[in-house]
Amino acid sequence: MTITKSAALAAILTTTAAGAALADWPADRPIEMIVAFAPGGGTDIMLRTLAPFLEAELDAQFPVLNRPGASGEIAYTALSQARPDGYTVSSLNTPGFLTMQIGRTLRYDPADICPIARIVEDPGTFIVQAGSGYQTLADLVAFAKENPGAVSVGTTGVGTDEHLAMLQLEQAAGIDLTAVPFGGANEAKTALLGGHVAMIGLNVGEYATSDRNAFRALAQFADERSILAPDLPTAQEQGFDVMMSSERGLAARCDVPEDVRAKLAAAVDAALADPEFQEKAKQQALPLSFKSGTDWQADMPVRLARYTEIFKLIEAGQ
Amino acid sequence: MTFIDLLMLGFSEAITPANLAFCLLGALLGTLIGVLPGIGPTATIAVLLPITFFLPPLAGIIMLAGIYYGAQYGGSTTAILVNLPGEASAVVTTLDGYQMARQGRAGAALAVAALGSFFAGTVATFAIAVAGPMLSGFALSFGPAEYVSLMVFGLLAATILASGPVLKAIGMILIGLLLGMVGTDQATGAERLTFGAIELFDGIDFIVIAIGIFGFSEIIANLERSGSEGVKLAPLSRLWPTRDDFRNSWGAVLRGTAIGTLLGLLPGGGATLASFSAYSLEKKVSKHPEKFGTGVVEGVASPEAANNAAAQSSFIPLLTLGIPSNNMMAMMLSAFMIHGITPGPTVLTTQPEIFWGLVASMWIGNLLLVVINLPMIGLWVKLLTVPYRLLYPAILLFCCIGVYSMNNRIFDVILAAGFGLLGYAFRKARCEPGPLLLGFVLGPLLESNLRRTLLIEQGDPSIFIERPISLTMLVATVILLGLMILPSFRRTRQEAFQEEEA
Repeated sequence: MTITKSAALAAILTTTAAGAALADWPADRPIEMIVAFAPGGGTDIMLRTLAPFLEAELDAQFPVLNRPGASGEIAYTALSQARPDGYTVSSLNTPGFLTMQIGRTLRYDPADICPIARIVEDPGTFIVQAGSGYQTLADLVAFAKENPGAVSVGTTGVGTDEHLAMLQLEQAAGIDLTAVPFGGANEAKTALLGGHVAMIGLNVGEYATSDRNAFRALAQFADERSILAPDLPTAQEQGFDVMMSSERGLAARCDVPEDVRAKLAAAVDAALADPEFQEKAKQQALPLSFKSGTDWQADMPVRLARYTEIFKLIEAGQ
Repeated sequence: MTFIDLLMLGFSEAITPANLAFCLLGALLGTLIGVLPGIGPTATIAVLLPITFFLPPLAGIIMLAGIYYGAQYGGSTTAILVNLPGEASAVVTTLDGYQMARQGRAGAALAVAALGSFFAGTVATFAIAVAGPMLSGFALSFGPAEYVSLMVFGLLAATILASGPVLKAIGMILIGLLLGMVGTDQATGAERLTFGAIELFDGIDFIVIAIGIFGFSEIIANLERSGSEGVKLAPLSRLWPTRDDFRNSWGAVLRGTAIGTLLGLLPGGGATLASFSAYSLEKKVSKHPEKFGTGVVEGVASPEAANNAAAQSSFIPLLTLGIPSNNMMAMMLSAFMIHGITPGPTVLTTQPEIFWGLVASMWIGNLLLVVINLPMIGLWVKLLTVPYRLLYPAILLFCCIGVYSMNNRIFDVILAAGFGLLGYAFRKARCEPGPLLLGFVLGPLLESNLRRTLLIEQGDPSIFIERPISLTMLVATVILLGLMILPSFRRTRQEAFQEEEA
């Protein structure tokens, strides 16, 4: 058999296999769930907790495969190269998925990736030591106006949620803060407790799982107050236009058949409605917030435009 | 309740059959993954985390903790037997441990490592119990400025690790610093030395370098020396350490324990820094520093005590402040969260049985590990008598699986193979890889903390001498530098080097 012939045969075999697979979806093969972060991170634990519920809904297996790196680009690239048969899904995180589209050459086309469902929306927040003199954002802004650059804000790097929130506050209040990048939220928390920085950015979920006696949150950056922090005013309630939240969900290739994506989304919706899952999500402080893939995708251009504006500020500053 | 009451409460919780069984299970599992190169405790715990849903909170946490410190024990086994550090903190153990194994003293090295670790684990566990909250204050007083001074001191001390010429050691540190810079710059988001490879965006993983430079190059070098027959090891003289071994190592274990308990508190690289510093200190205070690297028992005892003490004391910031000091502790935090427990000062008062039960189980776990490991030494040592034509492919296979499973990508395996060749070239040039690894680990910490300090201080460097801990460290650095430059010091160093050559 010549090479061409065997290649042609292989192609036919794969096509038929894929065709058969689609007909039986999802019972005949495990559905690989790519997680764009290392084991043990928030996204990883969320999806590992969710997987057994999806398995029950769809009567299929959901093995988790961690493909960490390049703030998700490695996983999204792997997803865009997988076969569009509905047997590969991936985690999807904003703002990372959106901000990497700004001024960076990507190894995949973001237009190839369609969200299936949003699972969690976790607003950003700024926290200070419990003994700090700042009670509200206005206190902090007033001090920063008097002392430009003196307020140090711990972030987890350039272009991360916290950094983008800080830049928005600078612009909204006309103040000058100093961003100090840390290796992660926990390093930043340690520095705040030790008094080495004045304030740090976190997500409300991370704040909710910290010792509330040690920290005080000044504001949360969403349209509405998160279910995790119903007493914490939003920045907009306090008169500052700062909007920043992390969304986490699932995505697949856009050319996966529409009905397969719809079934996946329905399974996520059903799992999120399961009281047993809700109990587990509550213990992990996951602010569940289901949104269908179509709705989530429709929101993305607005967010992208907002982040693009903020990124212009970063470039202007450098 | 008094301290004794609380401790009794802890033991009564930890000693229940179920909790004891989970402690043993965790310790066994940890030993196993520690022995397999590259398969780290973080990934294991991540996979097991959902299972702890179905366990009572304390049992789940006890098991995960057992995996963590069990892996510290297991990691030293491969470091000693086949020169493969399974964890960053086991790198220095290879320097003397592997030499001891080649001289037929593998049993002694393993026993000293196990007993030293047990002692250190005991001390550190009681440090958590007695002084946890106080020690966490020490961890908090370490700001970016203190880190910078500590790293400067650590890098200079790294030259002591090498037994060859200082210039070569400095060269290796610089290469390590360069490798540490690969990846996305945290402060600007710019790519550095990635050559456009997306796999390098987050830098090079420590395991890739360690397995390449130590594991792969060791195998190449051995094949070159003796073909497929492998290296002729000295016959096994005895399994148990001699009286001299015990006499020489107890001081080292004490110093290693002290260093490990303190440095383990610091977030990031604590355990690694602890084992490196303990080894350097031992070499400095030793009456025969020239013998380090040729199989001295102190060179195994002190870093092993240090890394185990650090593994225990890294629980302190988590338990007392609710802040994890490394990835492993972050996983432990998730394990607490799954059961709706938020670690921190509140837990100490509202759920004392959780905190004290865990502390007591750690001590029991350490005891179990010694009981498991000592009888197994004979078995491990027999591994060395396996013909190399079987042993080498097996080691290579496990290394490749380990490296691949970190990020599930073949790129890392190829990178490790490249580092294997580089490591082989270093051997040929008589350059020791220890300082390179230390430069690689400490470099990024030095850089990011220096930038943090200057950002916070808005460019004013006087903070380095204004803060007492930082100042102390800088003074120590200057003294060490003075000692190195002093001609007399230089002469003894060169003599030592020539002695070794002869």
